[in-house]
Amino acid sequence: MTTPLFDIAVAGASVLAGILGALIGLGGGIIVTPVLVLGFGIDIRYAMGAALCSVIATSSGAAAAYLRDGISNMRIGLSLCVATTTGAVAGAFAASYLNQSTLSVIFGTALLATVALSLQKKPEGVVPPAESDPLAVKLRLPGEFPGPDGPVAYGVRNLIPGVCIMWIAGVLSGLLGIGSGAFKVLGMDQIMRLPFKVTTATSNFMIGVTAAASVGIYLKKGYIDPALTAPVALGVLAGSFLGAKLLPVAPVKILRAVFLTAVFFIALQMIAQGLGLKFP
Amino acid sequence: MKNFSVLLARVMVLGTLFSAAIIAFGLVWYLFAHPGQPVGDHIFSGEPKFLTNPGDMLLRAASPDAFGERRSIIMLGLFLLLLNPPLRVLLAALGYACQHDRLYTTISAIVLAVLLLSFF
Repeated sequence: MTTPLFDIAVAGASVLAGILGALIGLGGGIIVTPVLVLGFGIDIRYAMGAALCSVIATSSGAAAAYLRDGISNMRIGLSLCVATTTGAVAGAFAASYLNQSTLSVIFGTALLATVALSLQKKPEGVVPPAESDPLAVKLRLPGEFPGPDGPVAYGVRNLIPGVCIMWIAGVLSGLLGIGSGAFKVLGMDQIMRLPFKVTTATSNFMIGVTAAASVGIYLKKGYIDPALTAPVALGVLAGSFLGAKLLPVAPVKILRAVFLTAVFFIALQMIAQGLGLKFP
Repeated sequence: MKNFSVLLARVMVLGTLFSAAIIAFGLVWYLFAHPGQPVGDHIFSGEPKFLTNPGDMLLRAASPDAFGERRSIIMLGLFLLLLNPPLRVLLAALGYACQHDRLYTTISAIVLAVLLLSFF
């Protein structure tokens, strides 16, 4: 394909990836990379660089909305960012030592894990435990968020295991050029037992900061091709905006089932491609 | 703190839109300059040095040479986009410093240091 047509096709695919990501609650980054690799035959390293920039673009918009509403917990976000950013730097360095096939296999596996994580039921209306771990109290992490009948206080548990999961989420982010939101949510929601609303809001704040830690390394390694990144970042940004607008009216349950199945097969295909297998 | 969060949110949205506008402008300009070119992203070959170093990138985008190298306008927009998260952390650090919250000023400063070190 040649320039104008290629860019239009890439931008179109990125808009779709952004809409999809917003509708099913995965980031646009983890969807757009396989689309670029499998659909357009782009080298996974350029795809990762472009996707990582799109992650930064979308997370800033999403995080802003939550920050205004006072739901995200800045102290938790910043403290955990110490773990995610150092993990991301380590992951981005590791990525530069891995070849295309290995990256494809790891990417596919992480995508499968993401699908599995998003299939889990989200706890709704569960009153979070009020007691916190002593270290979390020392760091003044417990907080409150605006509920329907006034502020709801919540505690923070298992800080150290949570930090470890965050470090791994950071490594994956740097290694694969993804936001790794699903893994951040796993750490905060399942391990640290934060209310789901606070988890989503805070993870949006963190995703952009984590991605920024690896993007400098991607830039230096030449993973970021401006001519590819521009249509991808703009497309995903526009798509996730549209997706957020569609969310209240779209048949989310059916879409989620259909798209998660599709993402599952895409993940298998990424693994197959990395292993050099032909997969129908 | 509430006002501060509102300010931070505004910086994030405006920063994203502003850099997206520059990227879009750069992309359109690039496409007008290079119609009908084959795309070389199938094989990894890295990027030229002036597109991987923030200092060189800024110089290149500002110089008249940028007319010959239109990708550097996109890169300038991307660079502004990438500055958004560090700016977010910097504002948080300043906000905590104003409240004399030594612990969180330090934590924000550590995160900011990791971000800045990774760029250079």
